[in-house]
Amino acid sequence: MVALVVGLVVVVLLLSLLVAGLLRSHADILRALHSLGAGVGDPALDPDAPAQAGAGPTPVTIGPPLPPERSAAGAPTVAGVTPTGEALALPVGSSGGLTLLAFLSSGCTSCAAFWQALSGGAPAGLPPGIGVLVVTKGPELEAPTEVAARAGRARVVMSSEAWSDYEVPGSPFFALVDGTTGRRTGEGVANHLPQLLELVRRAAAEGDTRPAASRRDRRPREGGPEREHSNDRALREAGILPGDPSLYPRSLDDLHGQGRPERQAG
Amino acid sequence: MAVLRAFGIEASLPAGFGGRIFVRPKVGGEEPYPVAHFATFWLPEEVGDFGGGAVTSMRPTDIFAVLFEYGPDALGKALFARQGMPGPLSVGDFRPTVLRRGLPAHVGTQWVFTEAGRPFTFYAVLGAQALAPQLVPSVNQLLATLRVQPPGGVPAGPGGGTAPWN
Repeated sequence: MVALVVGLVVVVLLLSLLVAGLLRSHADILRALHSLGAGVGDPALDPDAPAQAGAGPTPVTIGPPLPPERSAAGAPTVAGVTPTGEALALPVGSSGGLTLLAFLSSGCTSCAAFWQALSGGAPAGLPPGIGVLVVTKGPELEAPTEVAARAGRARVVMSSEAWSDYEVPGSPFFALVDGTTGRRTGEGVANHLPQLLELVRRAAAEGDTRPAASRRDRRPREGGPEREHSNDRALREAGILPGDPSLYPRSLDDLHGQGRPERQAG
Repeated sequence: MAVLRAFGIEASLPAGFGGRIFVRPKVGGEEPYPVAHFATFWLPEEVGDFGGGAVTSMRPTDIFAVLFEYGPDALGKALFARQGMPGPLSVGDFRPTVLRRGLPAHVGTQWVFTEAGRPFTFYAVLGAQALAPQLVPSVNQLLATLRVQPPGGVPAGPGGGTAPWN
């Protein structure tokens, strides 16, 4: 019994010493702060009294300065490289239409479903006329071969700058840009494709208050490959196949026939 | 300012410009060389070398420009005798007759030259002749940022892009 009491007394003494040491250490820290001019809650000063130069408490900042408020309105140009090494810059803010930016990573498991959905082009259920652009981090952080393996027919830009410009917190992350106003009409995180489609549908509906005529039709008109295919089709239908002599005229007579009008002088 | 850099060609894009620098996949025995497209409008994924499939989408305020490289066999030919990038261009340099595809109101300009030992043509189209005084300075701004590395400094191509010839 006596031994137990003695033991308890010793423990209490040790704990008292520990508390005293902590109090002293705390007092040393406060004294050091005061000597640095960063006193907090000095009881000698009236907190309601107007601060006098050099006499009042100095505000203390803990940790690094906070970043300025996040700007979620701008829509900077997305510039980077494609997985095949091309350079690509798309001014989504002046594209004339709506563009869905999908910030994805090759290694994130939540992104897999989006890669699969977007690899076939614009996914079913996406409102018509919305362009889709997948943005991964740059080749210094993502392997182009890994990205290429997932991209399929999706248009992909690898650009760490775009992630920084759009202040992407992590992947998957999506932003809908209105290319007529140069602003983001919506952005956020989605974990499933139906959730994304609903977000896009809602953002597009809320953002589109202008008449349809003011939107620019981004669908390519007939020209380039379409025009060439159309010409090929017309020639085939007329019975003119590759190698037909009429495709290789050697004189104006071959072009216009023997009875062509005489060329006007001048 | 967005910077495009690939195949030894670099451009710091003026505000409102987008662009693409690419090499088309090989077709037969033909050796493809880099093509750089610049535009103030959304470029479709498949665009002809000189704007086929794109210039028809231009608004009057739009600009489309191409820097197209030829093979080394073009070097030394009289057509490529001019040394260095063209510019600054004037309104008078843009004419309807230069257009590859004549479209109402459009005007174009084309320059053939050798830069850093590589043969090029620069072709630009404006959406409206009447707006040339406002648009030509933007073309000059783009031209001033174009940089070309000598052939030795050109990294190997990707071995085949995604866009086919047209």
